[in-house]
Amino acid sequence: MADATTNAVTEARGPKPRRVFSSTNIIIYGTLLVVCLYYLLPLYVMIVTSLKGMPEIRLGNIFSPPVEVTFQPWVKAWSEACTGINWDGLSRGFWNSVQILVPSVIVSIAVASVSGYALVNWRFKGSEAFFTILIFGAFIPYQVMIYPIVIILRDTGGFIGDVTGTNFRLMGSIWGLVIVHTIFGMPILTLLFRNYFTSVPEELFKAARVDGAGFWGIYFKIMLPMSLPIFVVAMILQVTGIWNDFLFGVIYTKPETYPMTVQLNNIVNSVQGVKEYNVNMAATLLTGLVPLTIYFISGRLFVRGIAAGAVKG
Amino acid sequence: MNPALQGLITVVLGVGGCLTYFYMSNRILDTVIFPAKGPNAGRNINRANMVRPWLFVFPAMAALMLYLGYPVFETLRLSLTDRSQGGAFVGLDNYRQMMSEDKFWEAMRNNMLWLIVVPAASTAFGLLVAQLTDRISWGNIAKSLIFMPMAISFVGASVIFKLIYDTRPEDVGQIGILNAIWMQFEGGVGSFLFLKILPAIMVLGFGLVVAYIAWLLLRPLMEDAKGEGILLKLLRIILAVIAVWLVFVSLRSLFGIFTTELPYGKPQTWLTLPFYNNFFLMVVLIWIQTGFAMVILSAALRGIPEETVEAAIIDGANPFQIFFKIKVPQIMPTIVVVWTTITLTVLKVFDIVFAMTNGQWETQVLANYMFDKLFRANDWGVGSAAAIIIMLLVTPILVWNVYNARKEMR
Repeated sequence: MADATTNAVTEARGPKPRRVFSSTNIIIYGTLLVVCLYYLLPLYVMIVTSLKGMPEIRLGNIFSPPVEVTFQPWVKAWSEACTGINWDGLSRGFWNSVQILVPSVIVSIAVASVSGYALVNWRFKGSEAFFTILIFGAFIPYQVMIYPIVIILRDTGGFIGDVTGTNFRLMGSIWGLVIVHTIFGMPILTLLFRNYFTSVPEELFKAARVDGAGFWGIYFKIMLPMSLPIFVVAMILQVTGIWNDFLFGVIYTKPETYPMTVQLNNIVNSVQGVKEYNVNMAATLLTGLVPLTIYFISGRLFVRGIAAGAVKG
Repeated sequence: MNPALQGLITVVLGVGGCLTYFYMSNRILDTVIFPAKGPNAGRNINRANMVRPWLFVFPAMAALMLYLGYPVFETLRLSLTDRSQGGAFVGLDNYRQMMSEDKFWEAMRNNMLWLIVVPAASTAFGLLVAQLTDRISWGNIAKSLIFMPMAISFVGASVIFKLIYDTRPEDVGQIGILNAIWMQFEGGVGSFLFLKILPAIMVLGFGLVVAYIAWLLLRPLMEDAKGEGILLKLLRIILAVIAVWLVFVSLRSLFGIFTTELPYGKPQTWLTLPFYNNFFLMVVLIWIQTGFAMVILSAALRGIPEETVEAAIIDGANPFQIFFKIKVPQIMPTIVVVWTTITLTVLKVFDIVFAMTNGQWETQVLANYMFDKLFRANDWGVGSAAAIIIMLLVTPILVWNVYNARKEMR
C-alpha cells in the first residue's frame, strides 16, 4: 500500500498497470491450482483408467494417458461384469433405474405442483398446519422411517397379492421403490412449487378469474407456461436424487430389481477374481452418465435443483 | 412384459389416477354433496369452497401421513420392543443394550469427528474457491468442474476414491494415487517439508482459527452482554469449551507430528489404519460437498454491496482485511446455512462408509450401525433405537431449519 501511494504522487498517469506476476496473483493461481488438482485428479484418473487394458494398468503409470485406447472395460461393465449373483453387468441395473425413475419423477411432480398451487390459490384454514407438516416431512432424516416402511410395503403388497390371486409384491419389487421415491420427493417439491407460485403476481390470478378461468384453467394456461423453469428444476432435483439414491435401493429391492447404484457397489465389492480397476471405473462412469449429461445440458438450473434438494432428509 | 411398456403403464396409471381423482372428487362435491341449486344454493357454494382445498391437498397429505408421519412413531414404538420376545414392550432395554456396545460408541465418536471436520472443511474450501474464482476469467470453468462431483452418486465417488487408496505389494508398481505419491518420500528434506512442516502448519492454522472462534464466542460474556438469554449464554459456553478442547487436541497432535516415525517406502493400506481411515473417508464427502458450499457462497459474495468494499479500500484495508472483516461478516447467515445443511448430510452419512469399509477397522458411523442392526442382525429393537438417536442428534438443526424456512416462506 505504501509504495502504491508514493508511486501515485510521482508518476500517476493512465490506468493502473496490471502486473501478471504480482504476489496476490501467484497466491490466487497457486491455491486454485492445488484445489483443482484435488478436485480434478480423481475425475481424470477415473476416465483414463477406464480406457486402459488390464496389462497396461498393472504397469502402474496411473497418470499417463492410455497407450492403447480400448472400450473393452466399458462393454464388460455394461454387459458382463459380475454383480453378486448375476453375470450380466450394469445393463439390468440401468433399466431398473429407468423404470424406477420415470414414473416416480412424473407422478411426484404432477401431484406436488397441484398441491403447491392449491396451497397458494387458497389460504384456507389448516393450510398453515399442512405447510408445517410439509417442512418437517422435507427435513426429517430418512433413517427414522426406513423400517416401518418395510413393514408397510410387505403387508400392503402381500394383501394386494392375496386379493388379486397373483404373486404381486411391493417389497423387493420396482413398484415399492417407485412409491417410496414418489412420496419422499413430495414435501420438498411441494415447497419448491409453493414458493415459486407465491412469487407470481396476484393480479394475474384475479384477471384470469375475471376472464372466467377456473382452477384448472389458471393452472394449465397461466401457471404451467409461466413456471417452466421451476418444473425443470424440480425434474433435475428428482432425477439426480433418485438416480443417485443408494439407501432406499439397497433396502427395498432384491438382486433382480437392484437400481444401478447398488449394482455398481456390488460389482466393485464382489470379491471373486482379480480386481479389475478399468471395469470398476467404467462402471462408475456409466452410472454417473445420466446425472452428468443433465448437468452439462442444464448448467445453472442443475445447480438450483441440487441446492434445493440439499436440505431434504 | 416389456420394461418400457411397464413404465408407460405406471405413468399413465399414476397421472391418470391423480387427474381422475381431482376431477371426480370436485364433481361429486359440486353435484352430490353441496349442489349449487335449490333453496341453499348460496350456502352450498360457500361450503363447497371451504372443502375444496382439502380435496386437492388430500392425496399428498394422506401419502405423507402414511409414509412419513406413521413411520416416525412406529420407529419410536419399535425401539421400545424386543424381537426375541415377540415384540413385547421392554422399556429402555434396547437403548441400554446399545449403550453397552463398543461399536455404538465407536460410531458416536466417528460421527462427532465427521461432524467437526467435514462441514468445516467443505465450507472453508467452498468459501476459498468462491472468493478466488470471483476475480479471474476462467473462474466459471473452474467452478463448474468443482461442482461436478455433486452430480456423481456417493457410491460412485467412493469407488473412485477406493482406486485412489488402493494398495499393492511393495515390489510392484502402485496403482492407487495416494500410495504412488507416498512411495516418492524416502525421509529426505522433501519428505520433512511435506510430511512434517506442511501438516504442522495446517494443524497450527486449524488451532488458531478455532482459538479465534472461541474468543469470539467468549468475548460477549466478558463484556456482560445485555438482552442475551441464559440459553444463548449456555450455548456459547458449550461451544467455547468444545473449541478450547479442539485447540488442545491440535496442539497435542502438533507434538505428535514431529515425534512419530513414518514408515517410508512401504505402501500403506490406507483404509485399515485405525482412526486415520476416518479422515480418508471424510475426504470423499468433502470432495463432494465443496461444490455445493462454493455455489451458494459465491452467490452470496456476489450479493455484497459494492460500496462497502470500496469504502474499505479507500480506508486502506488490505485484501485479507476486506475478506475477513467486510465480506465474511456480511455473508455470515449464508455460511451458517451452508454449514448446517452439510451438518445434516454428515449426520446421515451412510453410502460412503457402506461402500468403502462397511464400518470395519473402526470406521463405523451411526447410519451404518443402524443398517447393520436392522438388516444384518435382524434386530429391529436396537436398530430403531439407533434411528431415534440419529433423529435426536438431527433435531436441533431440524427445528432451527423449520423455524427459518417458515419465517422465510411466509
